This record gives sequence, C-alpha cells and structure tokens, in this order.
Amino acid sequence: MPEPTTRRQFLARAAILAAAAPTLGSFIAACSKSGQPSSSAPPTLTIAAPDHPVKWDIPADNKPIADGLAPEKGATLQLYNYADYLSPDAVKSFEEKYNTKVQISTFNDTDEALTKIRGGNVDYDLYFPSYDQISKLVSGGLARPINHSYIPNIKNVWPSFTNPWYDQEWRFSAPNFIYTTGIGWRNDQVPENIGALPNPYDSLWDPKYKGKTAIIDDWHTAMAMVLLRAGKTDVNTSSDADLKLIGDQLNALVAATSPKVTITMYSDLPAGQIGLCQMWSGDIINSALSYMPEGVSPDVLRYWFPADGKGLVDNDLLIMLRSGKNPVLAHLFINHLLDPDVAQQNFAQTGYQPPQNSINPESLVSSGFIPPNLAAAVVKPEYFDAGYRLLELDPANDAAWHNVWRAFKAGGGA
Amino acid sequence: MAVPVVSAPSRAAPPPRERRSRLWAALAAPGIIWLAAFFIFPLYVVLCIVFGQVDPIFRTPVPVWNPLQWDPTQFTYVLTHIVGPHGVFGPAILRTFIFVLVASCVCLLIAFPVAYYVARLSGRRKGLLLALLIAPFWISYMMRMFAWVNLLQDDGLFNKVLRIGGLFDPRVNWLTGQPVVVILGLVYGYVPYMILPLYAGLDRLSQPMLEASRDLGADRISSFWRVTLPLCRPTIVAAVLLTCLPMLGDYFTSDMLSASPKTAMVGNLINDSVQSPGQTGQAGAFVMLVFLAALLPMLYYIRVTSRRDEVAA
Repeated sequence: MPEPTTRRQFLARAAILAAAAPTLGSFIAACSKSGQPSSSAPPTLTIAAPDHPVKWDIPADNKPIADGLAPEKGATLQLYNYADYLSPDAVKSFEEKYNTKVQISTFNDTDEALTKIRGGNVDYDLYFPSYDQISKLVSGGLARPINHSYIPNIKNVWPSFTNPWYDQEWRFSAPNFIYTTGIGWRNDQVPENIGALPNPYDSLWDPKYKGKTAIIDDWHTAMAMVLLRAGKTDVNTSSDADLKLIGDQLNALVAATSPKVTITMYSDLPAGQIGLCQMWSGDIINSALSYMPEGVSPDVLRYWFPADGKGLVDNDLLIMLRSGKNPVLAHLFINHLLDPDVAQQNFAQTGYQPPQNSINPESLVSSGFIPPNLAAAVVKPEYFDAGYRLLELDPANDAAWHNVWRAFKAGGGA
Repeated sequence: MAVPVVSAPSRAAPPPRERRSRLWAALAAPGIIWLAAFFIFPLYVVLCIVFGQVDPIFRTPVPVWNPLQWDPTQFTYVLTHIVGPHGVFGPAILRTFIFVLVASCVCLLIAFPVAYYVARLSGRRKGLLLALLIAPFWISYMMRMFAWVNLLQDDGLFNKVLRIGGLFDPRVNWLTGQPVVVILGLVYGYVPYMILPLYAGLDRLSQPMLEASRDLGADRISSFWRVTLPLCRPTIVAAVLLTCLPMLGDYFTSDMLSASPKTAMVGNLINDSVQSPGQTGQAGAFVMLVFLAALLPMLYYIRVTSRRDEVAA
C-alpha cells in the first residue's frame, strides 16, 4: 500500500511539472508538423455567386501537370467521398482499365472533411465537395488545377459546366451530380399529398407526424429550409434577425415533431422508420432503386419540389487535391466519371443525376428508369435559373450559422 | 463472562515499503512511458487547442504550444453559454448527468445480484457463469447497439410483443428522441463493465466475517446491510466509476438509438463540435469539463480505498 503523499512531496512535484511544462510545449512543437504558414494580415475570402462569377488565379507554384504523362504505376488512387456516393462498378471498371487500385475514404459532412484535409496529414487525390468550399480550397492552396487535355469527356456534360460561375473556365473543378432538396414521404404512412399543401414545408412542423419525421443533418441545408418555409429566399443571409428566426423555428420543430437529424433517409424511409422527411432528390431515387425491402413496392414513395424550381438546387464537384500523389490517375478518374455509360451506372447505383447531355430529363420517366411517382425528383436545367443555391459564407457569417446549428443539436431548447 | 477488550487499532504508519529493486523499476518503465505518451501528451495537446487560436479563413484550430501565450476566449465562451440567457449547453450537460446517474443506478441494481450470485452462490458452475459474463465483450459495442435498433424499430420485435396479438396498438416510436431508450441503451451497453469488477471484489469478501455476523445474531437483511455492504463499498465505488466515467463521454448510444437533439449528451456536443470549423476549441473545453467532472469521483475513490485498511481491520 503506497504511502499517502505528503504536502512537501506534492509541492515539489507540482513545481517540477510547472517548470517542465514550457519545455514540454516546445518539445511537442518541435515534433509537430510545421506546415501551416501564419499570415500576418487576415486574408479575405472571395465568395462566388451566380451574379458574381469568379475566375480563380492559378498561382505560379501550383501549375497544372504537363500534358501526355503516363498514369502512375503501382499506385492506389485515394478518393475522399460521402459513403454510398459513388458507383462501385464505376470504380471497378476504372481499376481494370488502368490496372490500378482505388481506395475510398469517407466522411459524414464536408466540414469534417475540410478540417481533415487542412490538417495536412492525408494524401487524398480526389475530393467530392460542393461549391460552398471552393474558395477555401483554392485560396488555401489545397486544390490542384486541372489540365483539360486529360478530360475530353467534358464535352458530354451540360455546356454551362465548362464555365460555371463558381469556377470560370473550369480551372479547378469538374461537375459531379446535380440535385434538388425537397420533401420525401411514403404514402402508406403519410396519406396526405404533402405537395398539395399551401406550404409543404409546414408538414415537418405538423404535430400529427410526431416521431415519424427527419431533417437532413447538414447545417446549411436544414437551416435554409427553415428560411424557405418562412418565405425568405436569401438562404445565405447574414441577418441576425433571420438567424434568430431559424433558431426559434428549429426549437419549435423539436417540440412539435421531434425529428431525427440524419443523412441516412435513403435507407430509413424505405425501411419504414420514418414517414416524412427533408430529402435530397438523389436519395429518394436511390431508395426506390436499391433500398426497398422485400414485398414493399417503390410506388409508396413520393417526392415534392417546387414545380417552378424555386427551391434549393445545387450541384457538387470533383476537385483534385494538391496533397494527392497520383495527379495523372486523378485526371483520368474524372474523365472516367464523365463518360456517358459510367455516368449512367453511377446514376443507377447512387440515385443522383449527373448533368450528362445523354441523360434527357424528359425521358427518364418515360423510359421507366425512374418510377412515375417520383417524377418530381428529376432535376431539370430550368431549375438552375430559378432556384436558390447554398453558397459559401464568409468566416464571420459561417461562425454565426454554425453556432445556431450547434445550439439546435445540443437540444438547448428542449 | 467478560467481553474481551480489544484496543482500537492505532493509527500506526503503514507497513514498510518494499525494498526497491531496479528490476521493478525497469518493468514499470514501459507502462509509465506509455501512459505519459498516450495520456499526458494528448491531454496537453487538447489544452493547447482549447487555449489556442483559430485560423481566420478555414477556422481550423491552431494550437498554441507555449502556455504563456494561451488565450482563454474559447474556454470562456463555453463557460458563459452553460447557464443564463445564452445557456445553450446547460440542458445537454444536465441531461448527461441525469442519464448517467440513472443508468449507473440501474446498472448497479442489475449487476450486484448477478455478481453476488456468481461470486458466492454458484458453486461448481462458477467458471461457466464467468465465461458467460465475459461473452458480451466478444461483441463490439456498436453491434450490440445495432441489435437494439433492430428490436426497437416500429415493426420490430418489441412493438410486436407489446401488441400482444392485437389487443393493444401502441404507436410508440422508440427510436426517436426517447430518453428512456437512451438510458436503457446505456445500461445495456455498460452492465458487463460493472458485473466483472463487482464479481472480483465480492469474490474476495471474507467469508468468516459474514459468518461471524450471522453467528452473532444478525438476521439476513441486517447482516447484508451492516456487514456485507460496507465491506463491499470500495468495490462498488470502483465498479460504478468504471462504468459511469466512460458513460459521461458516450455519444454513440444517443446517435444510434435516438439521433434527436432531445437526448443530446455532452459526448454529442463534443462530437458535433470537434469537426466543425471554429468549434474545435470549444469541443476541447467540453472535454476539459468532462475530465474535471470525472476527476472528482476518482479522488473520492482514492480516499475511500486508502481508508479501506481501517475498515477491514
């Protein structure tokens, strides 16, 4: 049995620890990666918007790779993506075509992903963000510029994507999927036609659906929906009053219907765990194509998105990361995904629509690919003119939005 | 007949320390180095992040290694947002304490009889029962929670049983924001961690002491309450600590069985904040709070066990 510590011993040990702490600190500092340059003046973030398009500069120390290089041999292409967001067959066909390996690492949300990439200890080649991070990725020197000669398949993609407002001359990004954010439900649990309500978003606050609802576990998507419900269309607002409204409405939501906050509605809705939720268009198609249990027909699924396109419309991107060790393979993979057959396969296995010229939105339902009850989940080019985008926010506004979201997730109001 | 007078044990110095030998020091060294490397250093890193800076553009944490340059902004942000007009974190912290308290008590009520039976009353089947008690550790915590998700789904076994063949129709959504479900999930997940230390402690109870109390006239309940329980006190404290301290940081149970802000615990606050831009330092502040909250019972435990000799003598 050890002796109890005497006061003298305790004081002596505390003094030693206090003296050693700074040296401990400098020891750890010496061991840590010295990489992040500290900037003296706080740099500002250039925010791109549809009415404020941006052409990113390609810095001298980050030029695209040379033309005509051979793919890296014996390499493993590292992808960093959401789970279940890329067709396994597309990956396999790439591996066979170029005799290489592909490894996919996953993240739950793009905040987490960016923190990890910025941390610098990872060597992902290709990342799948949306354009709400492009300014940080490019300004922070994390993105690799594209050498267009490796990606002839860009001609298969909607022409607007060769000069999008968020990346003119597509210097750093290629398009991945297009999607809308609406409301999905199953009419065996929710017989009402949500789309016919005067304000369909109200259904998520309706107490008669208590315990059966869910909202998307993404701060910007969920909070923007609250704004749209209140009739406000600036979904990137920096107004304190609007943020307070969002906070109050989210608390009211928990009190009224106690929703789940998740991104797995593509499996929960078909499983019957939830009956009504905010949903991405690709998720409901994915539910219908791949996740219906035995004996349950996809006819029970429904989706609503404003017919005039005045809802949340976005696309996400393929961006190569500078930390990746396989730039040629990364270019070739982007080209592979933009191939019409591979893109169609990707559509079938993830439910998300690629902006391919060969995929005619008008014929998706008539060809039987998408069930007629989910016609509203098809993304039409006109939506991009009328819809509202989730843009990047400047750091102060981003902090304010995240604080509201965190207060909601902490159950502070309950 | 005179009752023999026994003088009270004197507050003598503890028995002399074992003679130090270089062998024991050498054997202990790897463990101490491991502890230093993987406990003290990371704790220091957490402190450096909590009291560090935030990158202005990316809002990723920038640790500050020199304690003299530490900046308490992030820590005070968390402290000022616990109670009061901006008290957003208070409910989650309170909820965590309540959940952990209730879950620990329920765990104890379940684990103690089981451990007592296995330790003292199972006779020849002790080995088999012990193996069965260890069996849950063969399955990961996540898989055990998955099992509950399956059972508690709207069309799962639990609701089917409750319907009792159509007599009732309970429309209970067990997996959406029900605190009872989260507490029971915690109990289910952590009860094995409580049974084993209790078993170990109860196994070592002095049988003559218990027999003596019965011989001297105490009935079963009185004997249990006045002799067995006090003898078990350090064991119970150790088992409760071993269970409720990890529970304080648990986030997975609430995520799996509820996914609702209504049952968010401190672990969920940490998990949500740590990867969010600008909030990593605040996640570290929550970690410090949980650490301090866990430290106090540990100090109490050390005190209890250091007095054990006097009780048992």
